[in-house]
Amino acid sequence: MTSEPAAVPAAPVSIPGDFLSLLQRGAVAPMARVAAGAPEETRATTVFAFHFSGGVLMAGDRRATAGNQIVTDRVEKIIELDDTSLLAIAGVPATAFEMARVLQTSFEYYRRSQLQPLSLPAKVRALARLLRDNLPMTLQGVGIVVPLFAGVDWTVNPPAPRIFFYDPLGAQFQAVHHASSGSGSGTIRSILSFQERYGDPAPAAMSDRQAITFALRLLAVASEFDSATGGVNPAARQFATLKILRPEGVESVNDAAQAEALAP
Amino acid sequence: MTEEPYRWLEAMGNRREYVREQLKDGSPCFAVSLPDGLLLLGVGMGGGVSKVFEIHDRVAMAALGHPADIERVRQAAIDAAHLEAFARAPEDVSLRRLVAYGLSGQIKQAFEQLFSAPVLAEFLLVEVASVASRDLLVRLRFDGTFVAREGGIAVVAPDPDVERSAARWLEDALAGVTGREAAIGVLLEAWERLQKGGSLSSAGAPGAVPGESPRFPPAGRTPELAWLRRGAGKAARYEWIPMAPPALSAPQP
Repeated sequence: MTSEPAAVPAAPVSIPGDFLSLLQRGAVAPMARVAAGAPEETRATTVFAFHFSGGVLMAGDRRATAGNQIVTDRVEKIIELDDTSLLAIAGVPATAFEMARVLQTSFEYYRRSQLQPLSLPAKVRALARLLRDNLPMTLQGVGIVVPLFAGVDWTVNPPAPRIFFYDPLGAQFQAVHHASSGSGSGTIRSILSFQERYGDPAPAAMSDRQAITFALRLLAVASEFDSATGGVNPAARQFATLKILRPEGVESVNDAAQAEALAP
Repeated sequence: MTEEPYRWLEAMGNRREYVREQLKDGSPCFAVSLPDGLLLLGVGMGGGVSKVFEIHDRVAMAALGHPADIERVRQAAIDAAHLEAFARAPEDVSLRRLVAYGLSGQIKQAFEQLFSAPVLAEFLLVEVASVASRDLLVRLRFDGTFVAREGGIAVVAPDPDVERSAARWLEDALAGVTGREAAIGVLLEAWERLQKGGSLSSAGAPGAVPGESPRFPPAGRTPELAWLRRGAGKAARYEWIPMAPPALSAPQP
């Protein structure tokens, strides 16, 4: 019995004789779809975080898609891991939600058993380790997760929230001003960079109300360019998931507060 | 020698006596079910040694005895609760099962293994429910036996007679008390009276004797207070209450 090798996409571009060429010849190239008949995987889309005067605002749309199908518009992509940690998931929810569950349990277990919270660097690395453990799935092109993380740095005075972003293999980076991930992140990143450089106020100077309005408008714009990003439409009771991280804890911005922030 | 039933019984009796002797100076702990949550109070020696602990989202523990043994049981409880929460769901963590199928058996086994050290500690474990009458309060003893009750008051004290009298006194003293601060005052007074007199069987009403109100904080001791919040919101209900001088007069409903 023979089986035909699966079609290999053009990217990533390889140089003849290099390691990627070898993977492509063996039909195991990274990000390749190895089974033509495999079910279309569910993906979650646009999330971002930025610093504002009151802390860090983390936002995400609520849409999950599979190919050109909208699976649901009620996904919560911003997850409270503990009192001072937020995770924004982008990628495959099946893997991402399990990562969140592992982190929630391990952070709480550590805090309760050791009678002190886990440090911010340890939390950041815990997520990086999960991403590295997910490497086989990432290389197969299924189960890829590219999250954002926000936590409070207690080593500075006063304590301050920090934003981190990752690559699919687990490399971790601290974001100075903002970070975004998912299919609509290009639009979001451009606007955030523009606002950071030329905006008045810059995101870092925004009040709570200004930051919430800005975040909702960002998602609305991203949804105009990316069909996989759910928009924000108060008339249809369609909102985003917004959470604010301050040293004192996490605060959720509910639908009513979002509607009010969008009111003229 | 322990192959003979009589010798074994004698050895167990000696062991029971030994454990009670070791625990006799232990500081009592209390738990009270109130309309807004569940209150736990212990008075420790400070210096980084605690008596009141969070176990899981809705479960907490207070204990008296040897700190190393308290720690051993605390870790076992936390391990079991988190394993259950991860394998199934946090909502599946149940104090009744945690004690009956986990801690009780382990403590009993330690007690009955004559040539290894018994658990020199006694425990009060509580689980907050959606209504006060469904709160679960479990008194777990050094030999693995336990008593569970729903709602009300529970006490852990070194002497069983003292413990019973304290529970009866608190039932009366806290009747109609719904406020947390008032309950804290009564519990501190109970602790102080137990330290002074050893029993509350003949004690009067709380705050009845002028000049006999408990000092705040008790001299040389560190009161530890925890609150398991009732109601919706965050999954983790445990809150550490920073000590503020409570009203030490007669409790107000």
